[in-house]
Amino acid sequence: MTQTAAQRFLEDAAVKSADLVHREIIRRGMDSYDAAHLKGRARIKDWEAAREKCQEIKREAINHLDRYLVQFEEKVVARGGHVYWAANAEEACTYVKDLALRFGVRTVVKSKSMVTEEIHLSPALEKEGIKVWETDLGEFIVQLRNEGPYHIVTPAMHLNRGQIATLFREKLDPAIASDDPADLMAVARRKLREAFFAAEMGISGANFLVADAGVVAISTNEGNGRLCTSVPPIHVVVTGIEKVIPRLDDLAVLWPVLATSGTGQGITTYSTMIAGPRQPGEVDGAKEFHVVLVDNGRSRLLADAEQREVLHCIRCGACLNICPVFRHVGGHTYGTTYPGPIGSVLTPHLNGIKEFKHLSYASSLCGACSSVCPVKIDLHHHLLENRRNAAEAGVTKSSERMIFRMWRAAMVRPRVYAFGGWSMRKALRMLYALGLAGTVVDPMRVWNRYRAPVPLPLQSFRARWRKDRAGN
Amino acid sequence: MPETDNAQTKQMQTGNPSRERILERIRTGLRVVVPEQPRTQANSERVIFEPITNPLDRFQQECVANLMECVLTSDFAASAQHLAEVLESLPAGEIFVQDDPALRRLLEPFAPARAIRWSNQGAPGEASQATVTLAESLIAQTGSILVSAACGGRGASVIAPCHIVYATTAQLVPDLATAMSGISQQGTFDRNSFACVISGSSRTADIEKILVQGAHGPRRLVVILQSGA
Repeated sequence: MTQTAAQRFLEDAAVKSADLVHREIIRRGMDSYDAAHLKGRARIKDWEAAREKCQEIKREAINHLDRYLVQFEEKVVARGGHVYWAANAEEACTYVKDLALRFGVRTVVKSKSMVTEEIHLSPALEKEGIKVWETDLGEFIVQLRNEGPYHIVTPAMHLNRGQIATLFREKLDPAIASDDPADLMAVARRKLREAFFAAEMGISGANFLVADAGVVAISTNEGNGRLCTSVPPIHVVVTGIEKVIPRLDDLAVLWPVLATSGTGQGITTYSTMIAGPRQPGEVDGAKEFHVVLVDNGRSRLLADAEQREVLHCIRCGACLNICPVFRHVGGHTYGTTYPGPIGSVLTPHLNGIKEFKHLSYASSLCGACSSVCPVKIDLHHHLLENRRNAAEAGVTKSSERMIFRMWRAAMVRPRVYAFGGWSMRKALRMLYALGLAGTVVDPMRVWNRYRAPVPLPLQSFRARWRKDRAGN
Repeated sequence: MPETDNAQTKQMQTGNPSRERILERIRTGLRVVVPEQPRTQANSERVIFEPITNPLDRFQQECVANLMECVLTSDFAASAQHLAEVLESLPAGEIFVQDDPALRRLLEPFAPARAIRWSNQGAPGEASQATVTLAESLIAQTGSILVSAACGGRGASVIAPCHIVYATTAQLVPDLATAMSGISQQGTFDRNSFACVISGSSRTADIEKILVQGAHGPRRLVVILQSGA
């Protein structure tokens, strides 16, 4: 029998949370993010007002999504660009693939784009014999390892310099001696430099699509996004329909807030705006400019009155960084394109509630994610709603439904409930006394197998309640 | 769709079998009413960013934070002198310069010493040692330079290991909001297919979150900021 996504999640989570090297790498990475993030937030005079402003901008955009997308499209087309609307992953991949074949593209350079991961664009192109280079350092590293990104902002966050140096020696050059991050970057730079100037097509994502100016805004620190969109003769932007914002002026708030939440910077080093193909009289730039607007389940979320705001997400990664579950199980354990709280909310909508309902439980409901979200998405409540939706849709396990039916039956009959509690206390005490805590016969095994057994109360809550009341 | 339903749109639709379907789905979805949340305080009354009182001071501070070099010069001659010094410090090889009268004059005393590719001769070569350009404006709040395609093209600010920007203090704007409304008002995108707010040299922190300066773009970003004529 093949494993379900839920079984795989539990297994990987157990392995990862016991992996001490992994824990140490993540702890250090998150510590350094935390420090930068707090410092970055202190630079903004009224952080709460900034969040509210961003929420307002995104809400306005999403609530008039049709109008702003059409406005964006008109502007791009007027400058000689092309806009393609893709209902699903297949349509998007086919369009880019056909474009590449039509222009005889052999090599593609890519800057970071989570949507291309979502639609599995690179494998689709590679099947046609096209070489695809990921050019963001983190993406380049995970590509060499044949992995997906571990984190939506820092894709190779799970690796230390030693592991990366070993990888580079294996895949790029056995003579690499140093494991200094600067030297490793230099190796990648040299390798990718050849790719940038050989590639016939550059593919990028978009952080924002600006409706009133017809501009694609891309934030990158390394400059790889700049090279992908400056050097090759064809530039393809692959992005989700929810990335649109009304006005160019909105970037004055969105850019600093995105950078602060993403890395703690005041603004990302290169906040690039591309308005179309190379215009007459310009020195350089792509002659062919295509924007692929991907729906892939997003328009369905619009009709969800509770969760429409999930489309406000600007993919900063702040909810991943603060999440105690993410910090323990790591990004790959989720088995999804988008990990962490936002991924747990979004994936059941994009890929089906039946297979991914377990992600709603990969949360302590502590609400840390909602508290840091720069567009104020109420993430932990959406996880609760997804739990309810799964139960209502009847996709939960029959054993789970039976247990809840029994529990409900007991809850409405105080004597039955009291008897249940009493027998549980007796049985567990006996089990613990026999030294069987945490073994397969222990109903509390999930908790007890890695921990000291939960101490058992001497009397029930009802008994204590009665006694305390009598004492008053 | 209203008046925009012209021939061009029709043509887009034929190449876009899903366009109308997606728009229809969006419109159907938007018919579902989402209750508005009550807001705590009118946002317009709240100040998000500290107002900037001294743009020049702020710009210089932010340049330090962004690991850029900002040199304040008093006049044209001093700017030319400083530019010559920066260029002398670089390895031998061609440099790329935006074709602009001010930059031609600025480089005059230095020109014979190394090969120059002007932007009217095409994009910067892969092996350029430095690029020299103007900027559209300078943003004090974030220590940024705003460049457009008119500033020597897209590659001019990213291909070489060193990017030198020649600007004057008159080009300083206090914050991003002013810079962005400037772009809209001046119609920057009517004339350019590209603009970029650059805030420091290229960098990465993808390995162990350790900052490495000089990733795929310039390791050095030098702003020669002239206060006088």
